[in-house]
Amino acid sequence: MLTALSNLPTLAEPESFSTLEKILFLALVFASGWGFWRRFNFVLQRILRSRPDPGFKLTHIGKRVWDFFWEVLCQAKVIRERPLPGLAHAFVFWTFCAFAIVTLNHCASALGLGFLSPAGVFGQLYFDLAGLFALACSVSILYLFARRFLLRPIWLGKDLSWESGVIALLIFLLMATYLASFFFTSSAPEARVLWWAHTLCLLAFLPLIPHTKHLHLVLSPATIFLSRGSFAHIPPLSGDEDFGLVAGTDLTRLISLQAYSCVECGRCTEHCPAVATGKVLNPKEIVLGLRSYLNDFGPASAEPLLGHYNSQEAVFQCTTCGACEFQCPVGIEHVPILVGLRRGAVNTGAWEDDHGGKLFLNLERGSNALGLSTTERDRFIEKTALPIFDGTQEYCLWLGCMGGYDPKGREIVADFARVMRHLGASFGVLRKEKCTGDPVRRLGNDLLFQQLAEENLKALAQNKVRKIVTICPHCVRTIQEDWKEYGTPPEVEHHSEFMARFADRLAPQSSGSESIVFHDPCYLGRYRNVYDEPRAIVAQSGQLVEAPRNHERSFCCGAGGGLAFLGDESGQRVSHDRVQELIATGATTIAAACPFCNTMLNDALAATGDAAPKLVDIAQLAARGAARLS
Amino acid sequence: MSVFVILEDRNGKITRSSWEAAAAATLAAGAPVTAVLLGANTEALAAESATGAFSRIIRVEHPLLAAYSSDGFVAALYQLLQTETPEYVVLPHTYLVRDFAPRLATRFGQVLISDVIAIEPGPAFVRQLFQGRMNATYQSTGPLPCFISIQAGAFRATSPMTSPIAAIETFVPEIAARDIRTTAGAPFRASSQTVDLGSAQLIVGVGRGIKDESNIPIVQALATALGAELAASRPICDAGWLPMERQVGSSGQTVAPKLYLAIGISGAIQHLVGIKGSQCVVAINKDPHAPIFEIADYAIVGDLFEVVPALTAAINAARQ
Amino acid sequence: MKIIVAIKQVPERDAPIRIDASGKWIDEFGLQWALNESDAYALEEALLLKEKSGDPTSEVIVLSAGPERVGVTLREALAKGADRAIHILADDLASRDSLGLARLLAAAIAPEKPDLILTGLQSEDLGLGQTGVILAELLGLPHASLILTVEKTATGLAVKRELEESWFQTIDLPLPALLTIQSGGNKLRYATLMGIKRAKSKECRVLPAADLAPASPPVVTLASVTLPQKQKSTQFLTGSPAEAAAALIEKLRTEARVL
Repeated sequence: MLTALSNLPTLAEPESFSTLEKILFLALVFASGWGFWRRFNFVLQRILRSRPDPGFKLTHIGKRVWDFFWEVLCQAKVIRERPLPGLAHAFVFWTFCAFAIVTLNHCASALGLGFLSPAGVFGQLYFDLAGLFALACSVSILYLFARRFLLRPIWLGKDLSWESGVIALLIFLLMATYLASFFFTSSAPEARVLWWAHTLCLLAFLPLIPHTKHLHLVLSPATIFLSRGSFAHIPPLSGDEDFGLVAGTDLTRLISLQAYSCVECGRCTEHCPAVATGKVLNPKEIVLGLRSYLNDFGPASAEPLLGHYNSQEAVFQCTTCGACEFQCPVGIEHVPILVGLRRGAVNTGAWEDDHGGKLFLNLERGSNALGLSTTERDRFIEKTALPIFDGTQEYCLWLGCMGGYDPKGREIVADFARVMRHLGASFGVLRKEKCTGDPVRRLGNDLLFQQLAEENLKALAQNKVRKIVTICPHCVRTIQEDWKEYGTPPEVEHHSEFMARFADRLAPQSSGSESIVFHDPCYLGRYRNVYDEPRAIVAQSGQLVEAPRNHERSFCCGAGGGLAFLGDESGQRVSHDRVQELIATGATTIAAACPFCNTMLNDALAATGDAAPKLVDIAQLAARGAARLS
Repeated sequence: MSVFVILEDRNGKITRSSWEAAAAATLAAGAPVTAVLLGANTEALAAESATGAFSRIIRVEHPLLAAYSSDGFVAALYQLLQTETPEYVVLPHTYLVRDFAPRLATRFGQVLISDVIAIEPGPAFVRQLFQGRMNATYQSTGPLPCFISIQAGAFRATSPMTSPIAAIETFVPEIAARDIRTTAGAPFRASSQTVDLGSAQLIVGVGRGIKDESNIPIVQALATALGAELAASRPICDAGWLPMERQVGSSGQTVAPKLYLAIGISGAIQHLVGIKGSQCVVAINKDPHAPIFEIADYAIVGDLFEVVPALTAAINAARQ
Repeated sequence: MKIIVAIKQVPERDAPIRIDASGKWIDEFGLQWALNESDAYALEEALLLKEKSGDPTSEVIVLSAGPERVGVTLREALAKGADRAIHILADDLASRDSLGLARLLAAAIAPEKPDLILTGLQSEDLGLGQTGVILAELLGLPHASLILTVEKTATGLAVKRELEESWFQTIDLPLPALLTIQSGGNKLRYATLMGIKRAKSKECRVLPAADLAPASPPVVTLASVTLPQKQKSTQFLTGSPAEAAAALIEKLRTEARVL
């Protein structure tokens, strides 16, 4: 077997180098290293001189290690969301990893300090293994080059990137020079030529790293490891002078690190509902805009963040759906950045918007985001004979603004109440509710949000509420996560999670033949990782059909981020885009699990015509099932 | 008990709210009261007021009272009331009265009891608090005269008498030009090009129940008959049947009229938030379960193509 | 230009209305308080005038009379941009009528010698709509009421006044003057975190009411309050289209009194 192995081709390495060669090599290494360090240090300083992130703690090490293993080493996100180019990139990355020892040995051998010999068994095996990787890498890099320069997907940007081309070329040459050296012996002059060619490519590549988006090679493992800890996590403000992201001095280390990690892959752009409907907002531009700002002005600058590379208009077109952050393979957290920029505009009063102002004034003076009188909600509770929560029941059924005031939301509440009664659950609704503050939180109004969160927490404690169940994923998110900044919220779950536990008691004899397509709400799916529970209910009522963009790829309805309250959109409407997709599945019914989705999709369906599919909430499906059973 | 009622005029005629104030005054006094007119030339007004059941009519005349000014009216009435010393001064509760009556009352060390909806024995005067959610009874305990203003529509104006019985007198106050410190321009309406739904007092809103663009004139006729502005829910404007500036709702205008007529509007939340400030909502819709009926004060479940023309006809007939 | 805005703290719009033990007012237990709506527009108008003037010596002062809780509303006004506040501390406002209250305000205002005084048109609780006008009389100032917008001119002010049935009028008046501001003439600014933080360092002077103007017996007294029998339900009008139409017009004329 050893003889068989020794018959395999092996890497040709020059046996020795002249003194002149050694001096030349060291001089080039020094120049290349200096080129690398100069720019890398510039970026490092920009990041380190940014202010520390308030409230950031390096907790949940286990999760961070797992994310590092899964997303960096296994390239899971890279491959899953764009399989073919993802796999190609994974091969390039794994080749880089495999070549670490190879490269180290390559350089050490110039000085006579080589530690891995192609003559030895281990060396030969290793070099051959690296050769296999090099083959995979060459094919991959050729494919990626062709994709970028011949196929030209729009997500990679309008202009062709020369730096990508140069890097691709260098990688290819590195692999080619390596593989070519298998065809020569160590004493052949070609081996020396190939060695020097490989070296020159290496030393040209090194300084290019910090000058291009390939900085992600160095930064992204840190970026992924140093995530904020949870999806779309909005950090607290710190101190009396912190109003959000106003100027360079507000940029934090995590944000700067993330801005410099961007690989410009455009996956965030590809999945953004604003981009899909022709808005100004482009999440990639937001991140690169911050990077350009840092390059131009640095983190100590008083120059406004908005106005140079990013506009206020763009920032307020975000629905906070989180598709960008979810997709990002290098760990950039777009949602806190966008909310931070909004905070900077709203907390300082710089944002002037008629509808936004009205929303804030409604909540300053009243209890709900719609500005309606609480007697409307009282009448609804009376008419629907909802029990009042008195501290003795197990569940507090939280209506929310939509459940309490919107006609469609009220239907959902009424049906869910029927389901709860059918199940014999003990529940009640509060006499008075104040808006959880979701829209003002996402719009960046910290003054108003603090007031709402604190008042609500106090009222819930006074009313002895221990468990909340609600029909609105936005309420769930805000209560469970955002209120944590001001106190300890009670347990809260979405009505899909509640109903799924009792699915068998809600299943009619025959599931029915109507085809139902389920629309994953952003705040239930990506934000909460709840995908199966609502589907369990849908599958009992008919044939479950999936939209092309489903589960974590679900396309936003357009209401999030406070946008439901901001009046008319420019360009095509996000809800119309989604509705076209849902109709195209051919399903006769669309099932939603969020009252905002319900209202937005309903509006869009109304514009479609009489042949539009029906729209129901999963509570209504469950209530039908329950009715058939009793 | 001597009671004065100050009558207001517009376009040469005594206003209905003035007649109502007179009726309230007469009811409370239990006898005919004295009417007061102000202006530069009140002869015709005096003749008109003489058809009311007044015991006296006083024409307060001065060239500087040709146009209303707070300083002018206060000076004139102050001098009259000092001379005449009535116990009660009754006024209609109008924008004008709210502008000058408090100043006048202050001169007598009194406070105007405003926007009265009922008069009880005592006398005690009932007015509304908390935007109509509570009634309060007020009494005057200070020096005479006691000033009260009457809410429009709270009392029924008595029909004019056929034979005049009042004696007409003239009172000329002393007012100098420099006493009047404000200059008022001619009244104007918002430009006809821009639609100002936000300040419109009467609005007729049309929704998808209208079915086709060609049916809009039916609702327009109703709006014209009422002297109301035409508005629409979002789908109508989206379809281009009415301009975007007529859209009422969360992405359009917010309105607060005295009367909002919702024709063929279902009542989606996006529309409701735009009209919640309306004092009175009337809904006409075919569907008895339409959400709009939840917030309507008056409702007609019926075919708008029958109800609306009937309504238009009735309003036009009443005008005659 | 020195502008004083007189504001009132009132129960919030959605507050439950229950009669208290005395039968003369509402039960204030658990009530939430807010800035009176037309006063908010008056404050906004004052802030706009100050911003438009570009004069760094311009000052907007907010003034309110009432018990300690009024301080919160004054702080909110400071947070929106007013420069300083004056709190007339008075626990006995219920025993003062509009004239008595106006005398208090006048006593606090007179030493300030403002160029312009703004008040809201009327309060959301009592709705008398007179305090501003009475104040103008006590201070001997020209005034105009139901004002939507204000502009500074060479000779004083040009203001847009609302008349009945969607008519408007421009009025010119000299300074110093007093205006009562109607809701809806401008766009209210929302309270910001930055505003609240800045407000912490702004002056709020407290003046005890007794020092300014002793309470004198009121000339008009609120004797009692009752809850009206208000039907909040929808009235469905039935019959043929012509019958329903006729019934509707009758109701709108006599019951709702909007036609």
